[in-house]
Amino acid sequence: MDGAVLYLADPPQSSQDRSNGGIMMEQGSNGTVIRLRALSKHFGAHTVLDAIDLDVRPGEVLAIIGPSGSGKSTLLRCINYLERPDGGTITIGPTTIDASMPVERAELSKLRRRVGMVFQSFNLFPHMTVLRNVSIAQERVLGRSRAEAEERAMQLLSRVGLADKAGQHPGRCSGGQQQRIAIARALALDPEVMLFDEPTSALDPELGLEVLAVMRELADSGMTMIVVTHEMGFAENVSDTVMMMADGDIVEKGSSNQVMRQPQQERTKRFLRAVHDR
Amino acid sequence: MLPAYEELVAWLPELLAGLTISLQVAALSLLFGMPLGLLLALGVIARSRILKTVSLVLVEIGRGAPALVLLQFIYFGLPATGLTLGSFTAAVVALAWNTGAYTSEIIRASLQSIPRGQRDAAEAIGLTGVDELRYVLLPQALRVALPPLLGFSILIFQGTSLCFTIALPELVSRAYEIGSGTFRYFPVLLAAGCLYAAVSVPAAILVGHVEKRAGRYAER
Amino acid sequence: MSQADIFVILRGLPWTVALTLGAFLIGSIVAVPLLAARESQFLPLRLFAMSLIQVVRGIPPLLWLFIIFFGLGMSYFPISPFVAALTGLGLIAAANMAEIYRGALKSIHHGQWEAANALDLGRLSTVAFIIAPQALRVALPSAASYLIGLMKETAVASTIGVAELAFQGNRLSQLTFQGLEVFAVVGLLYVVLSLPVAWLSRSADAYLRSKVAA
Repeated sequence: MDGAVLYLADPPQSSQDRSNGGIMMEQGSNGTVIRLRALSKHFGAHTVLDAIDLDVRPGEVLAIIGPSGSGKSTLLRCINYLERPDGGTITIGPTTIDASMPVERAELSKLRRRVGMVFQSFNLFPHMTVLRNVSIAQERVLGRSRAEAEERAMQLLSRVGLADKAGQHPGRCSGGQQQRIAIARALALDPEVMLFDEPTSALDPELGLEVLAVMRELADSGMTMIVVTHEMGFAENVSDTVMMMADGDIVEKGSSNQVMRQPQQERTKRFLRAVHDR
Repeated sequence: MLPAYEELVAWLPELLAGLTISLQVAALSLLFGMPLGLLLALGVIARSRILKTVSLVLVEIGRGAPALVLLQFIYFGLPATGLTLGSFTAAVVALAWNTGAYTSEIIRASLQSIPRGQRDAAEAIGLTGVDELRYVLLPQALRVALPPLLGFSILIFQGTSLCFTIALPELVSRAYEIGSGTFRYFPVLLAAGCLYAAVSVPAAILVGHVEKRAGRYAER
Repeated sequence: MSQADIFVILRGLPWTVALTLGAFLIGSIVAVPLLAARESQFLPLRLFAMSLIQVVRGIPPLLWLFIIFFGLGMSYFPISPFVAALTGLGLIAAANMAEIYRGALKSIHHGQWEAANALDLGRLSTVAFIIAPQALRVALPSAASYLIGLMKETAVASTIGVAELAFQGNRLSQLTFQGLEVFAVVGLLYVVLSLPVAWLSRSADAYLRSKVAA
């Protein structure tokens, strides 16, 4: 399958259309790409994630908001097992991982192939060219030839508008460019889901905009996305669903319109007021 | 006190032959010792209990005991086990062990200095453990480790002087022999000192420059 | 190897300890004027100190001991093996400690110098009351690991006949033909000796850290 088709062929849709749900391509068992059940994580006596249940539909864009220390980043890191959960199950496509059992690295590799991740601090490999950053996993994980991997990498770099940077090292690029490269790198394995961990928090507002533009284009192309963010504009305008977290728990979850404009919970109202007052 | 010109001319071939042996021992010790250091560094952080213990013991003895004692252990001690090594081989084995022990610590520290995010990213794109090490961690770690590794190489070159005690005809041995033959100890030892300094001092200045450049690279 | 043999080796312990501590003390003290010269505004003095440090570090310790013991001692004025070893190792320690002090000084944030200048403290008072106390704390871990290194370095004194640990081991192995055990024990003794220094360094560091934090 040519991976490019997956993103480029889908006609752009408005977020309102997609938030009706169910009508998108049916995938997995019950029309969910990601299914978490009772996902838990403790650091000592401190509960970071308290038995989280979550379903994400294909094509859904879910924004996770909440104060720092609420567990939102940990939740994201647990989904692709960068952080080991203590209990619960993670189902991505046909693969289910039970956190209470020991997991083989090969099994994890299968899980991670379906999930792309973008970090707050980009985490590009500084000793590789931009092109190599995007092609390395295709070669080593998917077994593509170098030529194939680089061709695909160039497509992805063009998609984020940085084809001209292919031969340079990441250190020479601005923060916004680095984050766009990181998005291209994460897309290189043709993931079914993209996870974004505060992708614009380390950036000047202006540079954040170019990253948000790429993310919006990705959302419009039908990519399933989970985005931990402080960008209320993104949560309100781009995402379909917003989830508010506090103290390792889901406070409330609903359509972006509802949670951002008519929050039901006092905790959410307080958080949104604090953000707007700044 | 200083050597006369005729003396220098007479001694120099002998001293240079000694220096050549010192350089050879140093080069071979580093050639075998640094890959050993990499293996020991990986051994120490390995999950296997046996591998970890063996590596730790080799590192702790190789760094903890004086190089002189390692040398004598190998040269005078090992024959009791039926393994007799010539002084050149014994010198390379002992100094390579010493090198392995020290460089393993240098490499381990540089691996630990790599930001956590690099491992996260490597894992997130699905690289296996071996690939993560080979393509992401080691290339960066070795860059960090380069200045201290070069600095240690100078120490090993100087450490070859210890081979005097196992009768290897390196630079100090030759100078001492000339001294005991002519009783002109001071001038000949001074000449040997100049030869050591002629290698070590420029090398140290060079390492200083590499260090500064590496520092600048890290700040970027 | 019998218990008596171990006692024979242990007879070298006082010499190893004396040589280590003596050379370290000499080095720590001589390093101060050496560093002052190294950082002097007067160029010739600075160049002299810089080359002295480089040359001292550029020649192997064993050869330094030979130059002092055989070179000077045999030809010009008689010198005992212990004094020769103490002089040579002290000299080397001074050059190395000067570099350790310098590294520590450089690590102090320049804001501290600026603050002292703003208070119109002189250069000497600034160093003595503001910079040095902070730098000493930074230098402590490096100095401690250098002390351990120096302790192992003292083994070269056996080559000029100082009756320290390596010397005793060497003699015993020639007497008993049990080099394997003897050198293993000697090597282990050095490892054991370094443990209290490492422990002391860690607790001193922790203590100073807590004092600064409080």
